[in-house]
Amino acid sequence: MRRTVLLFLLVLSGGIIAQEIGLSGYVRNYTGALLHGDYEYAILQNTFNFNFEHSRDRVSFKVNPYIYHYSDDEFQIDLREAYMDIFFESMDVRIGKQQIIWGKADGVFITDIISPKDLDEFLLRDFDEIRMGVTAVKLDYYIADNTFELVWLPVFTPTLMPDANSIWFPQLDFPVQPQFDYSQKEIKGSLKNSEVFAKYSALTSLIDFEIMAGYAWDDDPTLHISKIIDPVTHQLTGLTVTPRHHRLTLGGGSFSTTLGGWVVRGEGAYYSGKYFNSADPKLVDAVVKQNYIHYLLGVDYSLWDINLSAQFIQQAILDYDEAIEQDEFENTMTFLARRDFFRETLTLELFSYIGLNNSDALIRPRVIYDLADGFEILIGANIFTGDKGSFGQYDNNDMLYTKVKYSF
Amino acid sequence: MTYKTSFITALVLAISINALAQEKPSGLQIVQNVYDRPEGNDMQSELTMTLINSRGDERVRIIKQFIKDFGKVEKKIMFFLKPADVRNTSFMNWSYDEEGRDDDQWIYLPALRKVKRISSDSKSDYFMGSDFTYDDLGDRHPSDDVHKLLREEKLNGEDCYVVESIPKDEEYMYSKTVSWIIKDKWIGLKKEFYDEDGEHLKTLTVKKYGKIKDYWVIQHSEMHNVQKDHTTRMELKNIKIDTGIADSKFTERMMKRGVK
Repeated sequence: MRRTVLLFLLVLSGGIIAQEIGLSGYVRNYTGALLHGDYEYAILQNTFNFNFEHSRDRVSFKVNPYIYHYSDDEFQIDLREAYMDIFFESMDVRIGKQQIIWGKADGVFITDIISPKDLDEFLLRDFDEIRMGVTAVKLDYYIADNTFELVWLPVFTPTLMPDANSIWFPQLDFPVQPQFDYSQKEIKGSLKNSEVFAKYSALTSLIDFEIMAGYAWDDDPTLHISKIIDPVTHQLTGLTVTPRHHRLTLGGGSFSTTLGGWVVRGEGAYYSGKYFNSADPKLVDAVVKQNYIHYLLGVDYSLWDINLSAQFIQQAILDYDEAIEQDEFENTMTFLARRDFFRETLTLELFSYIGLNNSDALIRPRVIYDLADGFEILIGANIFTGDKGSFGQYDNNDMLYTKVKYSF
Repeated sequence: MTYKTSFITALVLAISINALAQEKPSGLQIVQNVYDRPEGNDMQSELTMTLINSRGDERVRIIKQFIKDFGKVEKKIMFFLKPADVRNTSFMNWSYDEEGRDDDQWIYLPALRKVKRISSDSKSDYFMGSDFTYDDLGDRHPSDDVHKLLREEKLNGEDCYVVESIPKDEEYMYSKTVSWIIKDKWIGLKKEFYDEDGEHLKTLTVKKYGKIKDYWVIQHSEMHNVQKDHTTRMELKNIKIDTGIADSKFTERMMKRGVK
């Protein structure tokens, strides 16, 4: 199978010369080691990422296959994108597997929920690798600087979670070892089960903004938990966890503008129909349906040639019930500082997520050096602090890593 | 008497006109003429920037750019073609005639798949690691500096005015610039930049210019940083003027679509 795919890519690569198909991409080595215990490798990965592109007057296509090769000789081969474009005078249509990114937030997903996340390595991958392509039809209609966008996803694609034995598998806190029932996890592909999103956006001198709405599926499954109680002792003897995806309806928007030397950004959405886990004993499967809002305010500023960025993010559950396991308000902040040196050949960067509820954080310092045009060497660290929360749960996963990348 | 008066008046007037004709233009007039030099309503070209360090090592950046004058606003869109790691990145700038009004700027980063508004408050930043700052690449308004005609002299066989320009803003990155401007053509042939301490920082030399559709266009120039011994060679190829670039070229749609 592997040989077949590689042979196919080779034949395709040869063919592109004859067809004048544009070929670009990168080759990358990614090596990371944990900073605890025996300094085990967290990752040893070679990546081959190709972009095949061709365009004519009114049509074009792009195919983006990628191969992850791991140290144990395992391969992951997939298409990140494979789509065709049709360009009309005032309208574009894109059909096929594509990444669709909305919103003005950086590294936070509020109105940006069309392309699901690949969390195989938590949030550590580059952003174009975290976002999974989805099969969709996207229509964009333009009037001057205004855009109306309509997206139809015929098939639902959920968030990709790490394997249960991965160091990135999320911490699940159950009183007894649960049994997982995956029988209801899959959403059958049908017209009824498809997803629809709409957006109106404008880019103007004064402000850029987006207004959106979506009829979607929750990318993250809700864990429905049923208890097995011993009828004699009335003690909890077992748990059955049934992951299920639910319909989610949302509406929201985002904006970005400049105030003096500052860029001010905001994004927010109202979600209807989200299921949260609850400790309320009256509930049959430990879940309750609530609405919530998720919003962000951010600023970007440049000081002494350092690009600075900060964002405050809050998720607030409406009509909150104390039995709900998640906090009523979940507050997070992000910080970014970046500076280039030596004619943009050396970049120092510090990015961090800070969970305010659990006092946990992910701190990501990076040094990137361009040895030559299109050839960069990156040395970075991922430091997790705290002992619980989205970031604290990975406190033992602090790692040092390098990425060597050749772009062509 | 009347006849005599009229004759004297006419004589004085004739002498004055002659004197005016011989009078040298002021520094401001010269710089204003350069600023006002007709450039056409729109232009597209392929820009090659070659960065050369003191050891002679070269790095090449290639950009396809489109510029259009919309009256009170000039819009520019740039598509980065090389190096490979910035390919498909695009940059859009809307520059306003209105004095003191900041430019609007956006960048499209293909890895993020989105257009980001950025602050234009970084005119002293160097463009893509070159020796040109963002401000060097734009049209600096004559009213931002105090100009003085220093002398007239020949440079590369061309009769030039030599004008010193001192910024009104004391915080500006240069303490002064000295420009050699070709008489009648109103093209800067050479420009020296002095840093905040008054030391010679860099020199811009125009290597080639020519007429395209009746407009004078600089096609090849070099900026040499004398303090760091670093040079940026800037060449414009495939220059097309007044082809009627569509207004829709300068939109988010095109930033995302790229050069297709």
